[in-house]
Amino acid sequence: MKISHNWLNDYTRIPLKPADLAERLSMIGLEVEGFEDLAKKYEKFVVGEVVEKLKHPNADKLTLCKVNVGKETLEIVCGAPNVAAGQKVAVALVGATIPHNQHDPDGSPFLLERAYIRGVESHGMICSEFELGLGDDAEGIMVLDSTARVGTPFARYLGDSDIIYDMEITANRGDWMSHIGIAREIRVVTGKQAALPNVKIRESKLSTRKHATIKILDAQKCRRYSSRVLRNVKVGPSPKWLQDRLTSVGVRPINNVVDVTNYVLMETGQPLHAFDYDTLAQHTIIVKCASEGDRFTTLDGKDRVLNSDILMICDAERPVAIAGVMGGANTEISERTTMVLLESANFDPGSIRRASKFLGLSTDASQRFERGVDIEMTAYAASRAAQLLQELTGAEVLKGVLDVYPRKAKAKTAKLRVSRTNAVLGTSLSKQQILSFLKQLNLTPIAQSGDVLTFAVPSYRYDLAEEIDLIEEVARVYGYDNVETKTRTTVDFSKPLSLTSLEDELRNYLIGAGFNELLTYSLQDQTSGHLSGGKAVEVINPVSSEASVLRTSLIPGALQVVQNNRSHGQKDLRLFEIGNVFSLMDERAKESLDGYGEEERLLVLLTGSAQPQHYDRIDRKADFLDIKGETDALLSKFCLDKYRFISYDNGSALIESALAVEINGSYAGFLGKISRSIAQGFDIDDEVYVCELRNAVVHQGWVTEKKFVALPRFPSVRRDLAFIADVEIPQEKVEAAMREIGGALLSRVTMFDLYAGDQVGAGKKSLAYALELQPLDRTLTDKEADELVGRIVRNVESKCSAKLRSL
Amino acid sequence: MTERIDQVRRELAEDLSRVSSGPDLEQVRIKFLARSGLIARLFDDMRSLPASEKPAVGKLLNTLKAEVQQSYDEKRKTLERLKQQEARWIDLTLPGRPKPRGTKHPLTQTIDEIKWIFASMGFSVVTGPEIETDYYNFEALNFPKDHPARDMQDTFFISKNVLLRTHTSPVQIRTMLRQKPPVREIMPGRVYRNEAVSARSLVTFHQIEGLYVDEGVTFSDLKGTLVAFARQFYGGDVKYKFRPTFFPFTEPSADMYISCFLCKGKGCRMCKFVGWLEILGSGMVHPHVLQNVGYDTEQYTGFAFGMGIERIASLRYGVDDLRLFYENDVRFLQQF
Repeated sequence: MKISHNWLNDYTRIPLKPADLAERLSMIGLEVEGFEDLAKKYEKFVVGEVVEKLKHPNADKLTLCKVNVGKETLEIVCGAPNVAAGQKVAVALVGATIPHNQHDPDGSPFLLERAYIRGVESHGMICSEFELGLGDDAEGIMVLDSTARVGTPFARYLGDSDIIYDMEITANRGDWMSHIGIAREIRVVTGKQAALPNVKIRESKLSTRKHATIKILDAQKCRRYSSRVLRNVKVGPSPKWLQDRLTSVGVRPINNVVDVTNYVLMETGQPLHAFDYDTLAQHTIIVKCASEGDRFTTLDGKDRVLNSDILMICDAERPVAIAGVMGGANTEISERTTMVLLESANFDPGSIRRASKFLGLSTDASQRFERGVDIEMTAYAASRAAQLLQELTGAEVLKGVLDVYPRKAKAKTAKLRVSRTNAVLGTSLSKQQILSFLKQLNLTPIAQSGDVLTFAVPSYRYDLAEEIDLIEEVARVYGYDNVETKTRTTVDFSKPLSLTSLEDELRNYLIGAGFNELLTYSLQDQTSGHLSGGKAVEVINPVSSEASVLRTSLIPGALQVVQNNRSHGQKDLRLFEIGNVFSLMDERAKESLDGYGEEERLLVLLTGSAQPQHYDRIDRKADFLDIKGETDALLSKFCLDKYRFISYDNGSALIESALAVEINGSYAGFLGKISRSIAQGFDIDDEVYVCELRNAVVHQGWVTEKKFVALPRFPSVRRDLAFIADVEIPQEKVEAAMREIGGALLSRVTMFDLYAGDQVGAGKKSLAYALELQPLDRTLTDKEADELVGRIVRNVESKCSAKLRSL
Repeated sequence: MTERIDQVRRELAEDLSRVSSGPDLEQVRIKFLARSGLIARLFDDMRSLPASEKPAVGKLLNTLKAEVQQSYDEKRKTLERLKQQEARWIDLTLPGRPKPRGTKHPLTQTIDEIKWIFASMGFSVVTGPEIETDYYNFEALNFPKDHPARDMQDTFFISKNVLLRTHTSPVQIRTMLRQKPPVREIMPGRVYRNEAVSARSLVTFHQIEGLYVDEGVTFSDLKGTLVAFARQFYGGDVKYKFRPTFFPFTEPSADMYISCFLCKGKGCRMCKFVGWLEILGSGMVHPHVLQNVGYDTEQYTGFAFGMGIERIASLRYGVDDLRLFYENDVRFLQQF
């Protein structure tokens, strides 16, 4: 929010430099993001007069203006449609920094240099409101007051040299959204009490009460409605000082009546609205909720659909304003207006916020009401506005404030214990210190009993209700820097620390195995989100269609990464990601977490060369056996022998030639090759192999407690066997037939050759194995070994229709 | 006979001079020293000499045999030496057979480092779901319905009541509901904000949250713990300040700033010329939050803190566009 230094000076005295004030306020939690010295900002800007407007020789939409800037007359190329001879305008001279670049999406500043525009030299720039940083209007140039003196520095034209602070108002401090609110807070820094000016009005004999009626039908949502009525108002432009004030804090001047309401808003934080009195049916205000589906045209000319929760200001016949949000076009102040009804009301914060959200309409008024406006300010603000209008237009102010206040708010109090304050903060503050801190925030002690202090809380402090709120105020005023930074602490060992996780272990393992870890977005586009089948969880208010569905698998994100890397020439990739995937489990349970599945997965991906290229190594593409080998190694590390590969068939179009992984009998994931069509969808014309595992299942099979098994003391016997079998016989079947007979004695089976070709005949293959026989309790004799191997051979021959091949 | 002996000597010298490899030398051995070699044949022939000549010739032959053997051995050693020398001449600058190099994602590295610093202070690691209910994400954390504080975190909704968590703070609630104090946990995870994606803002990012609730935990402990963290993470000479701020679930609340580690506080592009960097938000756990999980607020107090990993990693590594973290260009990943 923009706050003017000069304006603050109306309510308090600030004996500090702007930079110091900014720093001190930030340190008590009122963050000053920056401040601008207008004189510096507009150093190279002057008031100029357009003397002559000529056509640009080379462009239809541009003009060539001769602009008198006092010392000289400059030729300036201008593109604004509204430029005309005789206008007073803001001219940026060469060397000026234009606050906002109209042609930049971020509106960043830029340095103005002498330039040729379509072949014509331009010696400056005639600026729009937007370019000057004074408003949003970028359509045309800003036309200045016709009385402005040519050659005057633009900063002086805007008013006395002023400093404008940009303050970040936290959501709990509605009271900071005004100059008086900031001035009050400054007391903590300067010690000086701030005060609003006294209101002096010459009231007429006519009474407000007799000229207007106010009825609140919903006292929950409208807590108070104060009003003033003025006669003989002359609507016209505001005087320059008022326009300058508003412009300096980013409010656009409209006419004197509206400007005064905005001025009082910026002064007190109380939103006001001015109605054209004569347009109000029966000069009556009725505050009640809209009917569902009602339509209403707001001041901005937009037709809006209402709901029955939205509070409306109505006259005797129709709605005239959306309470606390925006007035209606039907009762707007116009040049013909002579009588004005001022509304200064207080509305329920939640109700205004709901209305603002529903309508998608956030205004200066709604932003303040949402946060809470001082309920004791309404009458003052109405009178203050009436006073200003009287001063400006000589209007007649009717007698008395019409003030409907159904349930007067009780004076707020809050208690604080000195001991508790110190216990929370870790301080040893005395009662006196605490009293003096809180006094600076206008918290008045009304009772003291031992440890307990009771304070009257100012009506504008909506955020103060409980002890902890007061403790925070003590800490702020005392200064966070003054609280000791304790360097000793106790560590509690009553519970075991859980420090290692499967994720960490998997990650470390895979990094050691030469994989690069990925982190990809979990929000994806529709196509990617639905690629792996299953029901995806969709976001109902996505920021873009690119990020509207939660991922159901880690594969699409990883394929995107493969695509990106391939486009940069990196085609040999070893990647992994650990992350959550999501699914819609039960449409009927979508209002609770039961409706959704969320599980952590591990994805391992290989594509391109199986190994980094080397002159002495044959380059080979990664294939299924590579991903199987990687998976095997990983699972055997974590789950020892508790896993197995089984056939996989889920009809998914994503994957082909795949195996499923089972750990302790539970489905743990799959591995295989990405289907060609899917890969091509990602512009990948290479084979991609993946393994996606469910970490919860891996976790169940994770053997963390390991037991030592004594190493064998007797020698092992090695025998090699080769079989010729039909090509369709799976290797696994042959191995199983060997193990069936070999039992525990057959400690290891290593396949060392696979051959298909002329030597074994068409439709056949040769499988060669090294068998290790390891007895635990004795030395195996040759005879025993031969006998066992013989039985193994017979079993393989009969189970697999194979024949022993002599080696 | 003597003549033949001399002949063998000459032949040997000549043959040896031509030897340049192991197989050559083996030929020499076979020719002279083998069972049917020249020397053996001389001994055979000696048998047919008159007995009187035998001793003298035998002596000569024995000397010859020793000589030949010695020459052969010397030549063999020379060859071995040469071979060894040759071995030493292998080009050691040839490239080694390369291995793929794995890398931990820079965001994970950052999380891990932060995690371990807090683990060393006795914090455990817990996690929670990314799909959350309004209750855990907002309500229980003292974000009232229809309160502007909710605007601080633009939310992705899945249904009216279910959303993508906007911060890791719901894990605080889940953790406290599960256990009684002391609670001393660190909670990393992914969060979501409904904002336009740019170099400075992402819809998905990571946070790490910390929570310590016990008897006698004070704001002074909060400062001490976080300063200890900052010194460990950013270096012992780091300057710091705590500034009041507002979070619904903590009170008092504080933003922590450290002196810019790039310019040492002088002001630079990274710190936007203010010399300070905001690194985390923190505060004393709000009594409403403790009440919501059934803790006795008179007995227990605590502090919580949270930081954005992408921000911390981007400052630390000088990554000026947050989107790079999610593009996973291998050339990027291998820099960390």
